Amino acid sequence: MSAHIRTDYAQSDQLFASRASVIAYAALGVLLVAAPFLIESYYLSQLVFVLIYAIVGVAMNILSGQAGQVSIGHAAFLAIGAYSAAIAQKYGVPLPVYLVLAGAFTGLIGYLVGLPALRLHGIYLAIATLAFAFIVEEVLARWESVTHGNEGLMLAAPNVFGMKLGTNGFYYLCLGVTVVVMLAAINIIRSPTGRAFLAIRDSETAARSMGIDTARYKTSAFAISAAITGVAGVLYAHKLSFISPEMFSLAVSIDFVMIIIIGGVLSLRGAVFGAIFMIMVDPMLIVVKDKLPQITDAAMHGIGLGEPIIASIQAGVLRVVNAPGLKSLIFGLIIILFIIYEPMGLDGRWQRVKAYCKQFPLARQRSARPQRMFLKSERR
Amino acid sequence: MKTTLLSTAAALALCGLAAQPASAQFKTQGITDTEIVIGTHMDMSGPIKSWGVPATNGMKLAVEQINASGGINGRKLRLVSEDDGYDPKKAVLQTQKLIELDKVFAIVSAMGSATTLAPMPLVQAAGLLHLFPITAAEFTFKMDPSKPEDRLKFNMFSPYYDTMRLGIKWVIENKGFKKPCIVYQDDEMGKNFTDAYTDQLKDLKIPEVTKVSFKRGATDFNSQVARMKADGCDLVALGSVVRESIGITTVAKKLGWDVAFVVSSPSFVPDFPDLGKEATEGIYGVGQTEIFYSDTAKGEVKDFIEAYRKSFGIEANQQATAGYNGAMVFAYFAKMAGKNLTTESMMAALESGKVFDDIFGGAPISFSKDNHLGVSAAVIGQIKNGRWTTIAKNQSYKTEK
Repeated sequence: MSAHIRTDYAQSDQLFASRASVIAYAALGVLLVAAPFLIESYYLSQLVFVLIYAIVGVAMNILSGQAGQVSIGHAAFLAIGAYSAAIAQKYGVPLPVYLVLAGAFTGLIGYLVGLPALRLHGIYLAIATLAFAFIVEEVLARWESVTHGNEGLMLAAPNVFGMKLGTNGFYYLCLGVTVVVMLAAINIIRSPTGRAFLAIRDSETAARSMGIDTARYKTSAFAISAAITGVAGVLYAHKLSFISPEMFSLAVSIDFVMIIIIGGVLSLRGAVFGAIFMIMVDPMLIVVKDKLPQITDAAMHGIGLGEPIIASIQAGVLRVVNAPGLKSLIFGLIIILFIIYEPMGLDGRWQRVKAYCKQFPLARQRSARPQRMFLKSERR
Repeated sequence: MKTTLLSTAAALALCGLAAQPASAQFKTQGITDTEIVIGTHMDMSGPIKSWGVPATNGMKLAVEQINASGGINGRKLRLVSEDDGYDPKKAVLQTQKLIELDKVFAIVSAMGSATTLAPMPLVQAAGLLHLFPITAAEFTFKMDPSKPEDRLKFNMFSPYYDTMRLGIKWVIENKGFKKPCIVYQDDEMGKNFTDAYTDQLKDLKIPEVTKVSFKRGATDFNSQVARMKADGCDLVALGSVVRESIGITTVAKKLGWDVAFVVSSPSFVPDFPDLGKEATEGIYGVGQTEIFYSDTAKGEVKDFIEAYRKSFGIEANQQATAGYNGAMVFAYFAKMAGKNLTTESMMAALESGKVFDDIFGGAPISFSKDNHLGVSAAVIGQIKNGRWTTIAKNQSYKTEK
């Protein structure tokens, strides 16, 4: 990875690394604002899910990437946010209010969950968060007077100060929340709190000996992460317009861990890349499934094969692309390959591509080799 | 600077676009001179794939047969099916894809509660029909009079409540049991069963005896069975799925307790006697369609089993009939709607009250203007020599004896 050369302490506090990145982000911002006018609502819907997952990715990044704590129970925080939204909406609370309230409430729960994190590490912490997720799922299923149990809850269309949000309006709401969450996360990371998180991640003992109150920072990492996930839960509930306990299962928590593993644990950019991957691979595989038979058909006619051969090959192609479970298989394969060949995630790849372009004729494979590997949370 | 710019832009756009124009109520798409496109999404790779795979196969087979016999008023039927992996998020995206890219005429026989309920508002907002989902959730057929788009929902999947109520009623009225008890799984499905038990006994003016529950995934039923035996139950309603049903009946057999059982649709499947062996002999059951066996099937059912085996290389099962019937019922009413097939004409045909009878001896299916749950009757069977045998058809708890 290329080194950052800084000549002034103030540089490490800058929001943007360079003028070029300001321009790049401004361009991205313009594109995202213009998106509803450029793409069909099916793709816009994918984008909304990407934004929601990116928000969760940011939450996961703060907890795991920055503070080095593991959680495989984040679906529970999403659920708490989602149910808070559904219940608040029933009592006529306006959306901006319950968006904040749900975040705060989930943050409080996150703080409580963070308490065991003071004593637990690594895999034990993972099990504790997993247990928490099961408890929440069970509570949602049993507390029928409030949550309607397994029957689930329907949400009305999101409503901001008397205005019903349509597809585009909701997209802008998600985009706005994502930008706010992103900026907040960047600010946390470059603040003393964020520095403390890093110190705890790299070595708890060293951090403590430097005078960092590890208990406080570990619980606050959980609280912040949970609060952000709770906000994402509100958006998620509105996007799906129906929620039930089974929608917040272990699989969803694993999805969230995957966001940062695939995207890259070290940067917030990774959260966005991971979210894009998790949401968009399935629709892309569907496109392949739909288009492949036409393509092979055209190709075979192109090279002039006989009709009977084409028909039999075509039947085979159809059978393969329509085989049940094929998509999951491919998805799993992609992930395994990723973890083997790109442990730094999509963001790591992105950084290398950037570095390669920058140093073009001089770039060497070895210059991209990471100097040290991350994930030391196990170390005391 | 950029952030203020961005947020201003976003805020402006938010104000400008927040008010979405009201969409047209009903819309027709996916119909050409030669083709009708329908879409579905089921779980082919997730937790309920044992339903999704055969049901999709059943639908594909039905579409093939419909097209082989000339299609629907000269148009071929084309099915676009997606695998949602029982993930509501994927279901939403896939439904949008089906509506916007494939331009389907209707969503037919989508599967699962969460996976149908999340995308259903999208289908309704697009003004398209949402037909025959493979779930008994009330949202999929109950209409709110203030919402005209609710007319677009139709369902024909027997609710668990209905089949259990009918089972208890029929067995008590015809076999003269006095002390019915219930053992149920402690979840939403179980609640449907206990509600059915309570309501039906009230209706029959018989006092409730024993209600015992077990947790999902339980394997030991000794205490539950012993308690019901001690309370002197002469009929036990099983509010459970196959594995637990077998567990309970086996314990009863072991304790030497000779009691009658009645099961509802989740256990009214061939697997139950197959796996439960002699412990299940004589048990009564209620379900939507008759249970068929490939060696004794006759006529159209036999043809169905053979065609299914030929197409997919596996034996047809009960789940396959759910998908098969979905496409067949669609074709029946689409044919009735005539050459000028639109969402409105299809709705009119569905609401005409005309009755569809399937090939499996299942309950007749018909809808009306104020009832969009197309099935009100069920089949009663009994396990004889290790096989489900139909003993009464076309039964309903609503009709007097």
